[in-house]
Amino acid sequence: MATGGGQQERPTRPSSFSRVSSSSFSPASSSSTSTSLPPGVRIGANGAAFVSSGIPDLDRILGGGFLVGSVVMVMEDADAPHHLLLLRNFMSQGIVHGQSVLFAGPTKEPRSFLGTLPSPVVQKEGLKIKHDVSDVQDKEKGLRIAWQYKKYFGEQTAVDSHNRDKKQEFSSDFDLRKPLERQLLNSQNVECISTQDAFDLSKLQNHCLTFVSKLSMKDGINSNAGRIAIQSLCAPQCGYFEKDWDMLSFIRSLRATVQSSNAVAVITFPASVLSNSISKRWQHLADTLLSIRAIPDKDLAKLLTGYQDMLGFLHVHKVAQFNSQVPVILDASTYSLKLQKRKSLVLERLNQAPVEGSSGVSYATSGSCSSSKGSLLDF
Amino acid sequence: MAEGLIVRSLRDGSLPGEHAPALCLEDSLPSPLASHSHAVFRHLLASLLSTGTGTAVVLVAFHRSPSFYLSLLSPTFRNSIRLLDCYSDPLAWKSNHHPPPSSHSPQNITLLTNLNHLPHFLSSILHLAKDLGAQGHDRVTVAIDSVTHMLRHAPLPSVLQLLTNLRCHEKISSLFWLIHTDLHEPKVISSFEYISTMIASLQPIVQLPDYANANISASITSLEENYSNAKFNVRLKRRNGRVKLLCEELLIEQGSVKFSSVPSVSSVVAQNLIPKVQFNIQLSDKERMDRANVVLPFEHQGNGQNIEIYDGRRSLSESQKDPSSIKIGGLSEQKRGNNNKSEKGEIHYIRDSDDEQPDSDEDPDDDLDI
Repeated sequence: MATGGGQQERPTRPSSFSRVSSSSFSPASSSSTSTSLPPGVRIGANGAAFVSSGIPDLDRILGGGFLVGSVVMVMEDADAPHHLLLLRNFMSQGIVHGQSVLFAGPTKEPRSFLGTLPSPVVQKEGLKIKHDVSDVQDKEKGLRIAWQYKKYFGEQTAVDSHNRDKKQEFSSDFDLRKPLERQLLNSQNVECISTQDAFDLSKLQNHCLTFVSKLSMKDGINSNAGRIAIQSLCAPQCGYFEKDWDMLSFIRSLRATVQSSNAVAVITFPASVLSNSISKRWQHLADTLLSIRAIPDKDLAKLLTGYQDMLGFLHVHKVAQFNSQVPVILDASTYSLKLQKRKSLVLERLNQAPVEGSSGVSYATSGSCSSSKGSLLDF
Repeated sequence: MAEGLIVRSLRDGSLPGEHAPALCLEDSLPSPLASHSHAVFRHLLASLLSTGTGTAVVLVAFHRSPSFYLSLLSPTFRNSIRLLDCYSDPLAWKSNHHPPPSSHSPQNITLLTNLNHLPHFLSSILHLAKDLGAQGHDRVTVAIDSVTHMLRHAPLPSVLQLLTNLRCHEKISSLFWLIHTDLHEPKVISSFEYISTMIASLQPIVQLPDYANANISASITSLEENYSNAKFNVRLKRRNGRVKLLCEELLIEQGSVKFSSVPSVSSVVAQNLIPKVQFNIQLSDKERMDRANVVLPFEHQGNGQNIEIYDGRRSLSESQKDPSSIKIGGLSEQKRGNNNKSEKGEIHYIRDSDDEQPDSDEDPDDDLDI
């Protein structure tokens, strides 16, 4: 797979957060090292530093979040605007943690996009504590039979609640119906650039370079992480649209810039407007590659459960790895995007609808019966 | 139904805060009716204008002369249309040599010669739209006869910028254009599809085989069918992010266009959309609660009732009268009183002490302390 090739290029990552040695972590030592990291960054497997993507489910699927120093690419679907949901959560998470954010969009007024960023869900303290206690009680009930071993379980629950607290800091749930507070948006850390009228990408490239150099200028241990979010980089209405090779060299230089810094770049692009070979080159330049697919109305209702609530599909093509030659193999690479209670974004595995007892036909054949073209549903 | 949906969406325009809906009408050579795609264009134009006094159209004419369009419309509607004439003199040949007299063009036609300069183009369209708005039409639709012609004069990104600027402008309520897919690279067509909200394409009813190898007689009959009918595929991008796919049949008779729904329902399932789907083995919250409510047999000690150990030899009713059935007193104190209910011989089990852990008497492993 392509991930193997990607690993050989960069055996070590000189970003300041990562740890080269990765011994097994005991809970006590991880709490002491977390104080030296800036907010929003955490050390994960193999000593790699992660920032949250803003969607807790996506962090879990990608094995910790977005790797610091990596470039994440999202392939848009021309029919649906769901890539904006990912971008919004990503940017909000950065602003909430106080990280610097650079946003580039193909509209005349990219600042107006900031008005649509969601604000985090605020959990009241009392509720949180009650939730912890009831959890412990549930555990006790389930373990009623094995009462002799209860004395060994006391420690485990304490560690669990500690981990849960830390998890809340790293990634927050966002309420998509509530916009982010104005004062957070007006801070100096948030910059916006328009790419619509630009005839070439040199201006954007200079902006990214100065942004990244500002991050490392802080000197010392507590330099903050930065987030670069570029929406629809190859949108057809941008002036540089026909210059394929210029766009590719921009991405390559962005990748080199971000790799040796504490930034994460998320780029969304509509892959359908690029020619096949150029689109493949774009996809190969990504460290982590995701794609969004729109779903046709009512077509797949018979095949999937919970179809009505789904907004679209998210497909994970490639997951970045650091300090390891072992590729990431996911259980399932396609997830459905859903809005839970209309406010927060969740990703769920796709589940097959219950097979009707009367038909008694295996699902592969019934799938092909419904479409005259005989689409391939491989199980 | 598809046609009705399109017309309604174009007529309704955009909600505040949204960009205007844009329809991309595509045609291609395999469908000979493609030359009649212009008929569909005119049909849409007519249906928009005929709905009343609210809607007005700014028509950018590249392909046919403006007088052709005006002759199509009845006089009542001639006031609600403004034409931008890009057909008569696109390269400014005539105006360079003979400047046109000012009273030459009728009132609602504006001649445009400088087609390379797109900002000027945009401002002329907006000027006409404002004109119509001033006359009392609150919804102005812009129709572009053929974007293919526009692309001859200006590069793709600027044409797309023009269209997106039109969509954003508050005076324009909807937009539609015609494009010939054979004359452009697929990249160009997909860029136009990217910025539009509705995509309607005309396709042949019968796919013709390769001409070199074709059986002539078979292809003539299919050609005939293609001349009268075509498939009208519509792809609508809805606000909730779903895509609606519709397919209808198109008939052109006597110059008028008729749409009819296809009898066979063949839903086009996007291929390879679901690579791996499994059954849901997670429990929902309600199921979890139900499961917690189930009392498992080894969690209680009979609760004061008979424990039926069915050994397969006798029927259940017989074992009830069996004197050797075991009756064990309950663990909790309130069940102690039930011990003396049955008359038959039974085993009474009385605990030695109250404060011992339940099951501690029976569990032989209790002595183990690991």
